[in-house]
Amino acid sequence: MASLSLKGVQKIYPNGFHAVKDFNLEIADKEFIIFVGPSGCGKSTTLRMIAGLEDISDGVFKIDGKVMNDVEPKDRDIAMVFQNYALYPHMTVYDNMAFGLKLRKVPKAEIDKKVREAARILDLDKLLDRKPKALSGGQRQRVAMGRAIVRNPKVFLMDEPLSNLDAKLRVQMRIEISKLHENLGATIIYVTHDQTEAMTLGTRIVVMKDGVVQQVDTPQNLYNTPCNLFVAGFIGSPQMNFMDAVCSVKGDDVTLTVGKHVLKVPASKKQALINGNYDGKTVVLGIRPEDVHDSQAFISNSPDSIIESEIKVYELLGAEVFLYFDVEGTQMTARVNPRTTLRTGDKAVFALDMEKIHVFDKETELTITN
Amino acid sequence: MKLKKITGISLEVSGAAPEQIEPALTQIHCLCTAYKEKYNRTDFLQGLMTGNIPHYEISDRASRLHIDPEEKRILFLIEGKHFDETSGAILKNLLSCRSKTYIVPLTETLLAVIRPLCQNETFEDMRHIAETIVDTLNTEALIRVRLSYSSVMNTLADIQKAFQETNLALKVGRLFYSEQNIFPYNELGIGRLIYRLPVSLCENFLSEIFGSPIPKTLDPELMATVNRFFLNNLNIAETARQLHMHRNTLIYRLEQIEKQTGLDLRLFDDAMTFKIAMMVINYLKGNK
Repeated sequence: MASLSLKGVQKIYPNGFHAVKDFNLEIADKEFIIFVGPSGCGKSTTLRMIAGLEDISDGVFKIDGKVMNDVEPKDRDIAMVFQNYALYPHMTVYDNMAFGLKLRKVPKAEIDKKVREAARILDLDKLLDRKPKALSGGQRQRVAMGRAIVRNPKVFLMDEPLSNLDAKLRVQMRIEISKLHENLGATIIYVTHDQTEAMTLGTRIVVMKDGVVQQVDTPQNLYNTPCNLFVAGFIGSPQMNFMDAVCSVKGDDVTLTVGKHVLKVPASKKQALINGNYDGKTVVLGIRPEDVHDSQAFISNSPDSIIESEIKVYELLGAEVFLYFDVEGTQMTARVNPRTTLRTGDKAVFALDMEKIHVFDKETELTITN
Repeated sequence: MKLKKITGISLEVSGAAPEQIEPALTQIHCLCTAYKEKYNRTDFLQGLMTGNIPHYEISDRASRLHIDPEEKRILFLIEGKHFDETSGAILKNLLSCRSKTYIVPLTETLLAVIRPLCQNETFEDMRHIAETIVDTLNTEALIRVRLSYSSVMNTLADIQKAFQETNLALKVGRLFYSEQNIFPYNELGIGRLIYRLPVSLCENFLSEIFGSPIPKTLDPELMATVNRFFLNNLNIAETARQLHMHRNTLIYRLEQIEKQTGLDLRLFDDAMTFKIAMMVINYLKGNK
């Protein structure tokens, strides 16, 4: 069992730099929590405070109800895998995993049991006699994970462990880590700046920016109902399209005007705009690339959500096509079927799936419709 | 005991009279010193770092210890709360592929790593090595460390200079860049400049800006606002947005600072002066 609790946690460095502000989070046992955000947002600092590698300036951090603020890292029952991991070059895989335990004077038989168990979980059984230089990048990464697993900790802390691997290996290792979480049933806190990694691995994601938690939610909820413009733009690849639109309310009808395009807001979204007195105000309209359609059937069924433009770039990715075009000076992306006939330079008509739009307050950047 | 520890040799002294024991102990002590001088690399390297070995002896003693006096090297100085055998063993095994890498314990909280610069390596590669050392000690020894590294040494005689550089880098880093863990000597920026200034000069500079008495610290909320404003390259709209405050509130806060100091932080020159003043306050605070 390992549940973690962070209440009002702050990090202010002696030079005045405020790295983490009022961080609140309850982590249940066996959760896979991801801290995600751009560089310098405070995600690694928070992880390091949990590890005990940074002092907590204010607030309370508990593991299983026990306050940990002043407990030494070695007494927190945690294991870490960091970005710049390195294996001991002259040791075999077995010795690499056993070394930490040997230093702690763990009995030989127990070390052997733990190493072989970790090797089995990580599918390293057949590589135990190899030296690091005879391993592939992914295998080395697994050995680094093995060194953490043999400690049998309450909590695993991982700080961008895949960032030194190439793109193909990262995808492979993502699957391995996901399996590992299932097999170990451990609580994992994982830091990354890569939103794809965050979406595929986490049971819950903490999106951070400038030391402040923006939203904590499941990957699905973050994608479907982002709480502000930052989260909407950060989660999803290609990122959500944003356009400035003027809201107008006439009786029961609410429209959003983007230049010459007038888009009718559906019943499910319009009440929030009416209640918020957005009539005549400029808001930010967001729509994901997959909700911009070029199929004739969709266009004919959506006469109130049509936009016209010229295709700037056609990008075929095999299973899908990205079309890049401008609407009133804003670059937009549509993710469409590869059978599309549209090509660079073509005049195109698109229909927006208005049920899937997101509307944000231009000043506060908070969601209006989610 | 001491002789056995450093040489592996035990010596039995017979004779019970105190006048016999005293010279025997002196002789053992001399043997230890002579052995250390001749065979103990750690002792030799410690001596080099602290400047306790005369220049003319370096080459001779280095060759006796099989240390190439002319090799290009980098000194990494690692500071931790408490280094025990574990940290030393981890570093030894991590860096052991380079047989000419020396790990030199200096105090309970300081450890030096002297590492040769290999043919294909550049100075830029040293950051990655530094990051690997820090991350490995964090994850394997579960201790928090800070690390500084020197510029390239061309000969063993440069070790003292390299040690001074890394010592300075740790001190400057702790004071001015406390959010970081790695401080390369050649990336200390304006912090190094301020660190060299005499306290009286710093106080004069601060009195010029803030008048008397000089503030020991500034309001943390005000400082957070100013720091964010600087991070956003003096952009009011972006700073206000990020701090979730109205732009007029931000302007009001900046005007408060202008009232106190006469510095309008919206102007580059004034912003720069204020930034330096902040660093000087941190320096004086750290000094005390």
